This record gives sequence, C-alpha cells and structure tokens, in this order.
Amino acid sequence: MKRVNWKKEVRLLPGYILCFAWVAFTAFILLWIIAASLGETNDIMRGEVWTNLFSGDLHFENYASAWTSNNVSVYFMNSLLYSVVGCVATILISAPAAYVMSRFSFLGNKPIHLSFIIAMSVPAVMVILPLFSLASGLNLTNNRVLYIILVICLRVPFSVIYLMNFFQSLSRGYEEAAAIDGCTPMKTFWKIMFPLVQPALITVTVFNFLSIWNEYFIAMIFVSGDAKTAVGVGLMNIVNSMTYSGDYGGLFAAVIIVFLPTFILYLFLSDKIINGVTAGGVKG
Amino acid sequence: MKKSKSMIVCFMAAAVVTLLFMYVYPIIRTVIMSFFNVESVTASTSTWSWAGLDNYTKLFATSIFRTSMWNLLKIWLLGGLLTMAFALLFAVILTSGVRFKNFFRAAIYLPNVISAVAMAAMWRYYVFNARFGFLNSFLEFFGFDAVNWLDTTHIFGAMLVAYCFGSVGYFMLIFLSGIERIPSDIYEAAMIDGVGAFQKFRYITLPLLRGVFKTNLTFWTTSTLTFFVWTRMFSPTETENTTVVPVVYLYNVVFGSKGVTDVDAGRGAAIGVTLAIIMVIVYVVMNKAIKEDDLEF
Repeated sequence: MKRVNWKKEVRLLPGYILCFAWVAFTAFILLWIIAASLGETNDIMRGEVWTNLFSGDLHFENYASAWTSNNVSVYFMNSLLYSVVGCVATILISAPAAYVMSRFSFLGNKPIHLSFIIAMSVPAVMVILPLFSLASGLNLTNNRVLYIILVICLRVPFSVIYLMNFFQSLSRGYEEAAAIDGCTPMKTFWKIMFPLVQPALITVTVFNFLSIWNEYFIAMIFVSGDAKTAVGVGLMNIVNSMTYSGDYGGLFAAVIIVFLPTFILYLFLSDKIINGVTAGGVKG
Repeated sequence: MKKSKSMIVCFMAAAVVTLLFMYVYPIIRTVIMSFFNVESVTASTSTWSWAGLDNYTKLFATSIFRTSMWNLLKIWLLGGLLTMAFALLFAVILTSGVRFKNFFRAAIYLPNVISAVAMAAMWRYYVFNARFGFLNSFLEFFGFDAVNWLDTTHIFGAMLVAYCFGSVGYFMLIFLSGIERIPSDIYEAAMIDGVGAFQKFRYITLPLLRGVFKTNLTFWTTSTLTFFVWTRMFSPTETENTTVVPVVYLYNVVFGSKGVTDVDAGRGAAIGVTLAIIMVIVYVVMNKAIKEDDLEF
C-alpha cells in the first residue's frame, strides 16, 4: 500500500469535490426513483419516498401492475427478441465482410469501406421516408421481421468498421498454416480467424445490444402497435397515459424495468464498454 | 495468400445488400423526393409532380420550421459549450492523478448506456417536478422559492440541461483518451521549466487536443441534428414552439399530428436533406479549420 501523499490530495480537492458531487447527484436520482417505484403515489406526491423504504413498507405491486396491466412484459420481450436476433445476425453479416475487406484487395473495396464510414453518421431521417413507403407498399408496416432487418442494417456499418481493425492486426501466418494443412479459405475464416477476434466480437455485440435496446425513432415508425413495439416506445406510451392517471409509482417502476437490463450489463462490462468507446472513437 | 473470388463475393454479399437497402437507395430517393410534390409518404411515384425548390422555399417560409432551426442552433451552441466544458473539465480532473479514477469515469459515462426515454422520464417526472422534484426540494431546503421548471419560460433550458448532463460522459471519454495520448515527457519538460498547472493546460493540453475537439464536435453535431426523444418527452401531448426541433417537425409533417393540418412528405424529405447538408457543411468547415496533419507526437 502506497503512502497517501496528503499535499497532493489537498491540491486535488476541488477535483474530488466536483466528481463526487456529480456522481452523488446521479446516484441520488437513481436511488430516489427506485424508492419511488416501491412507494405509494400519495407518499410520492408528498415527497416522502424514504419513509416507506426504511419502514419496509414496499409496494412491489407497482412492478406487478407495470409488468402485466401496463404491457411492460410485452415491450420487454419484444425488445429482447429484437436485440438478440439483431445482435447475432449483425455479427454473422459483418464479421465475414470485415475479414475480406481487411485481408484482400478487390474491386470496390475502398468505395465500400468509405460507404460504411459515411453510413455510420447518416441520420435516420434521411432514410426512413422511402423505407416506410416501401414497407407500406408491401404491407409490412408493424411487422417484426422488417424491424429486425432495419436494426441489423443500422448496426452493420459500425460493426464492420470496428471489426476491420481487429482482423487487420491478426498475423497472416494463421491462414498460411491452415492453407498448408489443406483448409479452404472459408473454412479457415470460420474455424480460426472468427474465434480469434472473439474479444472484439463481444465488444461489438455489447454496443449493438445497447443501441438496439435503446432504439426509439425507427421502432416508433415501423412497429408502433402495442403488441409489437419496443421498450422505448412502450415506455413513452406508459409515461403519457400515466401522467393522466397519476400513477407515479407504476411510472417509476416501468422506468426501472426498462433501465435495468442495460444497467446490469454495464455493471459487469463497464471496462469493456469504456475501452471500446475510446479505442474506436465511435458512437455506440 | 491466395485470393478466392467466390469467397469475397459470398462474404461481402449480405453486408453490401444492407448498405444498398438501408442507405444508398433511401438516400437517393429522399433527395429526389425533396424536389417533388409528394402529399403522402405512401403515395406511388406516379402521383408525384415536379416542384423544383418549392419544398425548400415553403419550408423556410414556415414559422414553426424556422423556430425549430433556431432551437436546434441553441441546442448545438449553448448545449455544446456546456457539454464540452464539463467533459473537458472532468477529463482533466481524471488525468490529474485522482483516486477512484475508473469509478468516477464509469459513473459519469453511465447515462449513455440508459434508454433516452428512461433518462428523460427521470428528469421530467422527478428532477424537474414542481411538487416533489429534486430541484425544488433543494431550493426550498435553502429557503428559496419553488420554480415551475416545465412552464414555457423554463422548459427549453430544463430540457437542454438534462440532455447535456447525459452527454457529458461520452465526450469526456474521448477527451480522456486524447489527453492520455499526449506524451508525458512534454509535461515533464514543462515542469522542469517551472510551468504552472493552468499554463500547462492552456499551452500544452489544449493545443494538442485539436484533433480530439474535431472528433467531438463532429459527434456532437450528428447527435444534436437528430435530437428527437427529449422534445417528445418534454412536450408529449402537443409540439410546443419552445421545444420543437427539425426532426420533430419532420415527423409531424410526414406522419401527421395535432396542430399539423397539411401532411406533406415532400417537405419532410426537404427537412431531411437540409439536415444532411448542414452536417456535411459542419464536417467540411471543421476539417478546414482544424488541421491535424501538422501535429506529430
């Protein structure tokens, strides 16, 4: 254990105070929302959420009512389906493309690479109108499969660009050795190269999951129906209806249910996520 | 290594299809659509009629669109200053040798992994709540009067502060990695010369972060141009002039909403194109103004 250099710590005091105040504010808000999600609306309105919490008078029925009667279970399962299928398909499409783009020179490689980089910053409003008209022409509005295809397309550019860096860093010796052993190039990719970039695949998948779980704009337009929509849109509907019904306990319970999956993921993987942001300099 | 043509085609096919389906075709069609009279977004191309620049001229003559652009500019400029200032401040603090650096870093970044709708709900229904909200409890505790944060005079500022609070963490991380890339011998040389902390920041850190500023400003522009969820959460029932932004107006004009009588997809496309052009302009200006090439370390 290093000795504390008190002179240095005192010099850093303003920095500590600011960081601490910021984090304490965040923590206080989250704790208050959790306390309120377990409280009665009357107590919340009087601003007495802590008394309930400390006296053990916990109203888990807020969660039960949010989960069942307010449809959160439906939104939750929908988003889970969209995220899981979307993440797996995005990897299966992006990893092979990233591999050949980083390994071989071929006609169109550079333009395609540039297109993916540009596609990452194309705002959704530039593309949704034609896609919506296409979807309605084919009677595919409010269709789960189409929404999953759209979120995959949304995540492929980021995933390809991110994975390219990792394939580039792998030695060509692996492929040469596999070729000598008579392994075909495609088999070499799936058996050797793909498993080698596993850490990068996990990082990309975490970012894709966060992004699809939190997706709002496209879900609102393409799967707006109560039965098929995602948590973002669902939560917005709940918020809008609860401001009239005044059920604040249920509102905060719904907020916590939507917040928990990504929060838990972050608790376990914050280092990976933060390293991914700074390494790629790309928005997750 | 032998190049296998069939393998390249197989491996590229799906990714190229996503590119064509989601980006190339829709972008081209949106640009074309913005020059036509298109009443409904679902109308077939045979009903389109040539409009030239009419959609654009009508758009800029619409007062709510001008208001939305003005709001966007305020979000970009004021919010940008606020966010960048705090992001840079935290990045400097966290690289100055404080303890618990990783914990602070993770906690400040946390809002970025949470659904924007959930974040906005926490701010709107708790922090800014007039009856039991955090801010008013805080003010009343110190003997000040409660404020209605969600009335027309305060709502824009309230929304902007809440939005910036969540954004700081992301830009802090980019600044942080930029500062960590600056070689420590530059600082050591400055220390031997007796340079103070502020001067080190002003004459070493800031100039060497030029490239990072460019990255951050580009990302900030992209994220503010598509500002949408926060307005929908802060003005849920009807779109108010005080919080309206271009994408919200686009949504209303294309898909209809209270207060919008004429649905007009052509004008919606013109809004999309306008935003894309702004993004390209910002990107070009940024690249001209901030040159990275002359930095070598």
